[in-house]
Amino acid sequence: MSEKVIDVRNLTKIYEDGDVLAVDNISFDIKKGEIFALLGPNGAGKTTTINVLATLLNGTGGEASVNHYDVSKDPDKVRKSIGIVFQEPALDTEMKGGENLELHAILYGMPKKERQAKIKEVLKLVDLEDKADIYVKNYSGGMKRRLEIARGLIHEPAVLFLDEPTLGLDPQTRRKIWDKIRELNEGDLKITILITTHYMEEADFLADRICIMDHGKIIALDTSENLKKQLSGDVVDIHFEKIENQIVLPQIINQIREIPGIKNVSFGDAKEQLDMMPMEMNLPKNMPHIDPAMIQARIRDIMSNPKKLIDAWKKFPMASQMFLNAPLEAKKRIANMFEDTLLEEIPVEIKNEIIKIKKGEYKEGDQDFEPKLSISCENGGKELPLIIQKINESNLKIKNVSMHQPTLEDVFLHYVGSAIREESSDRVKGIKNLIQMRQLRK
Amino acid sequence: MSDLNIVKSKMNYGAVWILAKRELIGFWRSKSRVISSLAQGLLFLFIFGAGFSSLDITIDGVPIDSRAFTASGIAAIVILFTGVFGGMGLMRDKMFGFMKELIVAPVSRNTLMLGRTLGIALQTLMQVMIMIILSIIVGYFGYNLSLIWRVILILPVALLASIGIVGMGLTISTRLRDFQSFGLIQTFIIMPMFWISGALFAFNSVPSFMQIAMLFNPFTYSVDLFRLVLLGVSYIPFWVDLIVMVGFGTLLILIGARSFNKMEVT
Repeated sequence: MSEKVIDVRNLTKIYEDGDVLAVDNISFDIKKGEIFALLGPNGAGKTTTINVLATLLNGTGGEASVNHYDVSKDPDKVRKSIGIVFQEPALDTEMKGGENLELHAILYGMPKKERQAKIKEVLKLVDLEDKADIYVKNYSGGMKRRLEIARGLIHEPAVLFLDEPTLGLDPQTRRKIWDKIRELNEGDLKITILITTHYMEEADFLADRICIMDHGKIIALDTSENLKKQLSGDVVDIHFEKIENQIVLPQIINQIREIPGIKNVSFGDAKEQLDMMPMEMNLPKNMPHIDPAMIQARIRDIMSNPKKLIDAWKKFPMASQMFLNAPLEAKKRIANMFEDTLLEEIPVEIKNEIIKIKKGEYKEGDQDFEPKLSISCENGGKELPLIIQKINESNLKIKNVSMHQPTLEDVFLHYVGSAIREESSDRVKGIKNLIQMRQLRK
Repeated sequence: MSDLNIVKSKMNYGAVWILAKRELIGFWRSKSRVISSLAQGLLFLFIFGAGFSSLDITIDGVPIDSRAFTASGIAAIVILFTGVFGGMGLMRDKMFGFMKELIVAPVSRNTLMLGRTLGIALQTLMQVMIMIILSIIVGYFGYNLSLIWRVILILPVALLASIGIVGMGLTISTRLRDFQSFGLIQTFIIMPMFWISGALFAFNSVPSFMQIAMLFNPFTYSVDLFRLVLLGVSYIPFWVDLIVMVGFGTLLILIGARSFNKMEVT
């Protein structure tokens, strides 16, 4: 059982146009019969990793092998060793379900007899045996996904790649797909599965091991159990009423941090962290076709650095347009990133806007800001009163408090949240940055 | 090293055939496409055929029945329309995601390209034949036993003519990103190639600047060869037609294959 189906060593991917570091020196392996989840926000590098493993993209550095074939030297054999279900449906809707499978089997070079038997077998596996003669355009979302999974299995791959397999499906269908995935992994077939997801509960439910990625790096890799164990103790979630003066927030966070027994304080809940990047951006029509993951990685990079942001504004009219059209909340976060000394370098239009914001000429947007904190601590029962006391000393009003055992969500927040914080030497500045980024990405 | 990891395996003819078959089946199943392409051809045939029937056309001093002249031109033009629009099917695959399934399969991109080209070329061929047979039935070519070998001989000519056009359609659709640009292609590529190909009017009846423009249109030579095969007369020596058609076909297929190999699908 310890045979490595996928072996990734120091893999790095820098996109040629734009110099974006999408995957940064990652190493991991996937053992036979395992379900392995890549978990992370959009733009973290998951899809780029999958694309390199699926031989769609060349890596820039490091090595990767699938079923013992090197992805750059033997792409043909690697392709035969993997079945892949893409994030968006990749079916020919004008053909029948069975015909989609047939075409796939021929592309993968299967002889006729073997083909027919195998198509029947995989259709049965996903409970679509009576739907083979129906046009795919008449399938439901869940049926399409199942058909794609079946298609991925026809040529008996050593590993099945599922890229966000339940994105956009309703909860019931999602549950059915999960059960199917488990069944494939646990039944006689023992299929090895690599799954990318940004649903924490999906990774928790399905995966034997979870690899948390952010900014192209692996920041944690272990079983769900072990990841949660690392966060022993309790998690306290505090939901504030709307606040007027946001400067109070970093101060109160610092005070909470100083309470003995507090391990980490982060903003918001993990779901928001994950959804902070827009899935689809409205890019102008004449833009060259670029991997959205690359664009997202690029934007994350720019947003975290005022100097880069100024550069972007100067070079791309689109970037300044994006700023001017952004919701007020987002504008404020950005405005706060700039110290007065930097203001001179900003293009005039944006500078005027930022000065207006800093002077407080806009007010109405404040109403929506109801911050949440997630605090991990050693013993919630002991520290919670102290936390509440600290908060009461300030002017902040608490809307709701809850305490629970760490979930995978908290683990995620712990890693992704702290990873962002470490980028900045100054703690308070780092926290400010975090608020800014969270708001920006909303 | 480029971003893309391209499989360089040898041609997989099973895959070529299934991809060609997919094009044909797809065309046959989409009844609106079948009907509109037939109707368009018929409209051209009858309106232009009837409208130009009073013109006197002579080539090399031989008087030509103007309806036969128009019908042979229209038959060639069918290639232009179906070929380019067929190539646009690739655009659909790109937009609706199916291209990913093809791109990740263990076959070379040249295999994918050849399969598609062949499929569209065959589909074009079918439509050309339908157009010619309709023209024969209504008597535009007169009733003559020599038509049998003329129709048989038109098959390889039509296939050759369609290669370049399909290559053009594929090149365009690997580079286009949305259907909006489609109107541009229609107005600036297909229509000019149609109007100045000599399909509807005689080469020697237009002013000389127009003649020069026609000589620069690669499709003029296909139309001319069609006339030679179907009517037995033409303006341009047949070997010039052949050289231009082979050259244009090879060039466009190479360009098409090149941009297809560079196409990113994400």
